[in-house]
Amino acid sequence: MAAREPAKRIIQQVRPILSVDREEARQRVINLYKAWHRTAPFIVEKFDIPKSVPQVRQKLKEEFIKNKDVSDVRVIDMLVIKGQMELKEITKIWKQKGHIMRYWQESIEYKPNDFLSKFMSGHN
Amino acid sequence: MMASLIRRLPKASTSFKWIHSTSAVYADDPLKHKEAPIVENDVILSDQEVKEREKLSHLISLPKEKTLAPISGVPEEHVKTRRVRIYVPPKNAMQSGTHNIQRWRMEFDNRERWENPLMGWASSGDPLSNMNVDFNSKDEAIEHCEKNGWKWFIASEDKPKKERVKNYGVNFSWDKRTRVSTK
Repeated sequence: MAAREPAKRIIQQVRPILSVDREEARQRVINLYKAWHRTAPFIVEKFDIPKSVPQVRQKLKEEFIKNKDVSDVRVIDMLVIKGQMELKEITKIWKQKGHIMRYWQESIEYKPNDFLSKFMSGHN
Repeated sequence: MMASLIRRLPKASTSFKWIHSTSAVYADDPLKHKEAPIVENDVILSDQEVKEREKLSHLISLPKEKTLAPISGVPEEHVKTRRVRIYVPPKNAMQSGTHNIQRWRMEFDNRERWENPLMGWASSGDPLSNMNVDFNSKDEAIEHCEKNGWKWFIASEDKPKKERVKNYGVNFSWDKRTRVSTK
């Protein structure tokens, strides 16, 4: 079993998607965040979800913070595009209540630790 | 050059109204032509659009990062918790050829399997259990894993094939003790 080799830093020439530098990409992210932030009351009202506006905004912040370490401008652009698509799906009500509530669902299922929860999930 | 001149025209003369339509392109009677005229993009596009296209037409330099995980659409559960084994498939122990082992293969760690109570067949809830991808070299496999954010390890050695003299006559050489007595 070989050890992980350190990643080499190579500069490459690539084709941009929307932004040519980090500053521009950052501006796009902030604009997207603002748009989402303004939509929070709409989401709570239209979808009738059991969450308050501050809770929705908290979740929104979490979703953005999740990708804070992304440094590739193209990946940031792609995330912005995906974010815009999701926002549109919400404002046009192409998404439904369940799709909204899915944001609060943990994507990683942690393994049961104590006896009872192991027993309930069918593990010994 | 011509296109940029045309673009600048409306700004220079405010009294002259520029009409972006195909009929403006025909100098003579449009009925004489059999096809619609080809209008260059540069004439139709707004200045802002032209600037935007110009900006995106150049290449940008970026450090070669390996981050596809945020946009690949693979659930977080199957990025952060998976471990990839990179190995050379073993040779069939029988007399089969070796062409199918000249590659590197990646395989995910095993997840829970169980006997399905309906028919007694094997079940699994793992979407990546059967995803074996072949690569020409170890490095390609590593790069693929890095890009997708999976942990990986190398489980085979990179050993070259032993050189062997393939010569029928060698089997009968006088000094190699390879001759078989028929008595």
